[in-house]
Amino acid sequence: MRRLSLAFLFFLIPSGIFAQDDLMDLLNQNSDPEINYTTATFKSTRVLNGHSIEKMPPGQLDFRISHRFGTINSGAYEFFGLDQSNVHFSLEYGILNWLMVGVGRGTYEKTFDGFAKFTLLRQSSGLKVMPVSVSFLSTIAATSVRWSDTSRTNYFSSRLSYVNQLLIARKISPSISIQLAPTFVHRNIVATELDPNDLYALGAGGRLKLTKRISLNAEYYYMFNPKSYMSQQVYNPLSVGIDIETGGHVFQLMFTNSLAMIEKGFIGETTGSWGKGDIHFGFNISRVFTLKK
Amino acid sequence: MKRLFLSIVTFVTILSFTASCYYDNEEALYPSLSSSCDTTTVTFSGKIAPMLANSCLSCHSNAVAAAAGNNIRLQDYADVFSKTAAIAGSIKHTGTYSPMPKNGGQLNDCSITLFDIWVRAGAPNN
Repeated sequence: MRRLSLAFLFFLIPSGIFAQDDLMDLLNQNSDPEINYTTATFKSTRVLNGHSIEKMPPGQLDFRISHRFGTINSGAYEFFGLDQSNVHFSLEYGILNWLMVGVGRGTYEKTFDGFAKFTLLRQSSGLKVMPVSVSFLSTIAATSVRWSDTSRTNYFSSRLSYVNQLLIARKISPSISIQLAPTFVHRNIVATELDPNDLYALGAGGRLKLTKRISLNAEYYYMFNPKSYMSQQVYNPLSVGIDIETGGHVFQLMFTNSLAMIEKGFIGETTGSWGKGDIHFGFNISRVFTLKK
Repeated sequence: MKRLFLSIVTFVTILSFTASCYYDNEEALYPSLSSSCDTTTVTFSGKIAPMLANSCLSCHSNAVAAAAGNNIRLQDYADVFSKTAAIAGSIKHTGTYSPMPKNGGQLNDCSITLFDIWVRAGAPNN
C-alpha cells in the first residue's frame, strides 16, 4: 500500500511541475476576452403594465400583487379613485435559463391568464457582441364573467384571447434602458362587425435610473388598427411610474389610463383618456422566493 | 414545483391547440336580424347608396345639403368614404355624433349592420 502511494506521488510530481508552468503562462498572457452579458436591463419582469425582457432565473418564484384604482377625476367622494380597486395576482416561475412561465387572475373581466416567456438573445459585449436582448412572450387569457345572456348558445372559445409579443430591449448606459415590443393580440370574440378580432400594436418602454434603488419608467403602446371604426372609443395606453427596489421586493408605483393589467386588456380595451383625466393610480409589488438554489 | 409548472405549461399548450382561434363577433354570432336581411353581398352601389338615398339624401344630397343638411353631403362615394366613422356614430346614436335621421326613428338593425359590414370591408367603391 505504501509502495503504491509512493509510486502515485512519483507520478504526481512531474505533472505538478507542468501545471506550475501552465500557471505561469496564464499569468503572463493577457486574459482571454469573455462574453459580458448585460444584466438588469429592467428591474422587474414588467416595465409597468407590459412585460419587459427580464425573466425569473431558474428556481425563483415571483409572487406579484398589482392594483389599479379608479380614475383620479372621479373626485373627492371616491377619494380620487382609491375607493375602487382592481387587482391582479400572479405566480411566475423561472424553469430554465431561457424559459419562464406564469399564471394569474385579475379582477378585470374576472380573467385567468397564463404566459410563457422565452429568452431568445441576450445583449452582450466582449467576445460576442449582441446589441439587443430579445424575448418572446406568448399569453392566453380566459375571462370568467357570467354570460350576459344565458338563453343563447355560449361558447367557451368566446372567453379566450391570445397575445404574442416580441420584446426587444437595449441597455444603452448603466442608467438608461429602452424597449420596443411589436405585439399581436387575437380576440376570439368582439362586440360588433366593426371591431377587429386581430389587433396590431407597437409598445415602447424605457427606464431611467435616478438613484441606486429608484428608477423612472414610462411605457406606451401604439395600436395600428384605426380606432375611429370601433364600437367603443379606445385610447392608446400610456403609463408613467417609478420602480423602487428594496432587497427581495420591487415596488412599481404608476399613473396609467388603463385599468387592465394584461396585454389583451390594456391594448385595445383602454377606455380612459389622459386628456380627460381618466388616470388610474396603481402599483405592482413583486416578492421573489428562491425555491431552488 | 418544477413538475407543477411543467404540467401547467402542458395544460396551457393543450388548451391553446384544442380551443384555437375564432373570428367571431356578437352581431354575427347572435344575430337579432330578421332572416330577410341579406348580409352576403354588401356593395356600395347595391346596398349602401340606396339606403342613403332612402334615409339621408332628403337633407344630405348635393343639392340641398347646404340649406338643410349642415353642408354634409352624402350623395357621392368620396363624400361618404371620408365620413364613415361619423355616419356610423350618427346612425347608431352612440352620443358622439348628432343622432340621425333627424325627426325620425333610428334606422333598422339590418341597415346599420350592412353599413358596418361595408365599412369593415374597407368601404370599397363597388
